[in-house]
Amino acid sequence: MSNMGRRDFLRTGLGLGGLVLSSSLSRSWAQSGDPIRIGLIIPLTGGTSQFGATMGQAAKIAETEINSAGGVRGRPIQIVIEDDQSNPEAAVRAAHKLIDVDKVVAIGGSYASAVTSAIAPLCWEGKTVLLTSSGADSITKLPHQGYIFRTSPTVTLQGTRVGDFAVELGGKKMFFLGPQTPFAQSYIDIISSIFKAAGGSGSGLIYEDKKASYRSEVDQALKESPDVIVLGGYVPDTSVVLKDLYRAGFSGQKVGFSFGINDALTKAVPAEASNGAYSLVPSASENSDAYKRLVGKMKLSHLDSYSCQVYDHVVLASLALAHAPSGKVDGTAVRDNVRAISQDSEGKRTDDAVEALKLAASGAHVNYDGPSGALEFADNGDVKGVFFRYEQVEEGKLVVRKIG
Amino acid sequence: MLTDLLQYLVNGLIVGALIALPALGLTLIFSVLGFLNFSIAAQLTAGAYAGWLANTTLHLPLIAVLICSFVVAGAFGVVTDRIALAPIRRKPSAQTPLMVAIASIALNMALENACRFYFGSGLNSFDMPIERDMKIGAIRVGLQQLHNLEIAIGLAVLLALFFSLTRIGKAMRAVADNVDLARLKGIEPVRLANLATFIGMGLAGIGGALLAIDTSVDPSTGSRLILLIFAGSVVGGLTSLPGAVVGALSMGMIGELGLLVLSPVYQSLTAFVAILITLLARPGGIFSGATGVRR
Repeated sequence: MSNMGRRDFLRTGLGLGGLVLSSSLSRSWAQSGDPIRIGLIIPLTGGTSQFGATMGQAAKIAETEINSAGGVRGRPIQIVIEDDQSNPEAAVRAAHKLIDVDKVVAIGGSYASAVTSAIAPLCWEGKTVLLTSSGADSITKLPHQGYIFRTSPTVTLQGTRVGDFAVELGGKKMFFLGPQTPFAQSYIDIISSIFKAAGGSGSGLIYEDKKASYRSEVDQALKESPDVIVLGGYVPDTSVVLKDLYRAGFSGQKVGFSFGINDALTKAVPAEASNGAYSLVPSASENSDAYKRLVGKMKLSHLDSYSCQVYDHVVLASLALAHAPSGKVDGTAVRDNVRAISQDSEGKRTDDAVEALKLAASGAHVNYDGPSGALEFADNGDVKGVFFRYEQVEEGKLVVRKIG
Repeated sequence: MLTDLLQYLVNGLIVGALIALPALGLTLIFSVLGFLNFSIAAQLTAGAYAGWLANTTLHLPLIAVLICSFVVAGAFGVVTDRIALAPIRRKPSAQTPLMVAIASIALNMALENACRFYFGSGLNSFDMPIERDMKIGAIRVGLQQLHNLEIAIGLAVLLALFFSLTRIGKAMRAVADNVDLARLKGIEPVRLANLATFIGMGLAGIGGALLAIDTSVDPSTGSRLILLIFAGSVVGGLTSLPGAVVGALSMGMIGELGLLVLSPVYQSLTAFVAILITLLARPGGIFSGATGVRR
């Protein structure tokens, strides 16, 4: 130290300080780049809002996980949530804002089919990936240039399952009651044809939602003396239809879908009116660790499939960008790399988003399976291999009858 | 066919009875204050929540539940009117009624979202047994709905008595007829405005509770029906109380009868067509010139 002059000491000190400073800076830079924005259009209000809140929470958990693992390409991701108000017009305004102002790389959520159909053209025109949890078959038939990925089973698949199940219950005459949606007529056609093939018959009626009473619609349905009524509505209208069916003394089977007959519905109608109604529920991957971890982080005992899907929307978009060989961060890079990280047969299978992110960032092959399922997509963007739960209302509570 | 027709008429009366009370409220407020208070939809919802809380937490019976709904919705109606709408009315101009009506739409959204913030978007059910319909010949009639109809008609009669027999009722009609002349006679319009808002919103609250017993309680309970309520009120002439009841009942019946010829999906069309025909054929409403609040 004695032969080290004052200047040398200062120089060394400055150098060391600079080193420490630069390393700490580079670490914070890793997270301080402009955030990569991922949009969410979810129903927080309105008739389809039963899962909206948990969808948002699940997406936030995905955001936290990705960011605590260092983000994507050194940049944090940021979720921008917009409420579609269960209304396609509001959804279109939200999509414009997300694409043009926030410059998101992908839009997730997108639950009601009417909402998804309305915003889909904006997404592919804006070269933004649309990850949707809606069912209408028409959505992936659009000329979407590969920008649409659907994590929910299609209407045809759900309709077929409901039709088969109703025949299994011994139904001969089916009547469909549901509101005007992009899939209502398809349901009537699909389920009726299943009944005809089984030697029975089927017909249906499409009603207007937002009514205080469906007595006349129920009267029209009962005139056909059906032994199975398929309920194709969302919770607010299905709850009124169930009450009116009870009042009218209908004693046949009632079968519906998870967006109409669910926990929210059982709270909305007296048990007498809902008892015995069956519900077809697209099942999340409930035995997977991914599902258990997500449910644990949300401090819940059970989570619907749709919220799991929205979690996966965020993870899929992040992993795709982390993997993209081009290093670009835009919607096209997401589109081109989703399949590479979700269904690479040579990739390391993992259901942990953080592990998958590290693998993808290091350039390794990865095959991510999320809490919503195995996430393998057909060429048109539809998800493959979906499980369903068949539940029935018993004493005002939903009970699982079978899984298949 | 005749059975169908009768059954649909009965169904229509039942729907009409549900919207009659809010339509009465809307008409009453318009008659006395001279503007359309669209925040009535939120007061329907407020009444529904108040009734639901009274029923599920305090286990009160129907009549007590309805009184709760009346008081809570009425009080909310007056408070929100004082805060949000009265300041605009204080500086009257030619556009004031329109401005207040538009402000009331904004108020409605704010209140609806306040309900959503506090109670969440879920649907809630009253703790009341659901009853099977009784059959009169080939026609099905719901007991609960029959009660609704009785309550609506009973309240309309009470209101009519109030307006024709009591001093305050007469004063309200005087204000509705001519504010300046009423003031010269020593009637205080502001006090009456509060009372009219209280009664009007209270009626909406009862309507909301009855509606919610039939359907369910959620933040959109009221706004789902506002178009039909407005249509009933317009068809009834906007200033006539019997007109509001008849207007609401006929809106219900026209809507259900429309099902005989129209696909159920186009049902709300009937409300628009009814407003259009009324305004073209009888701009003052079907009861124009008859006795009501105005005369």
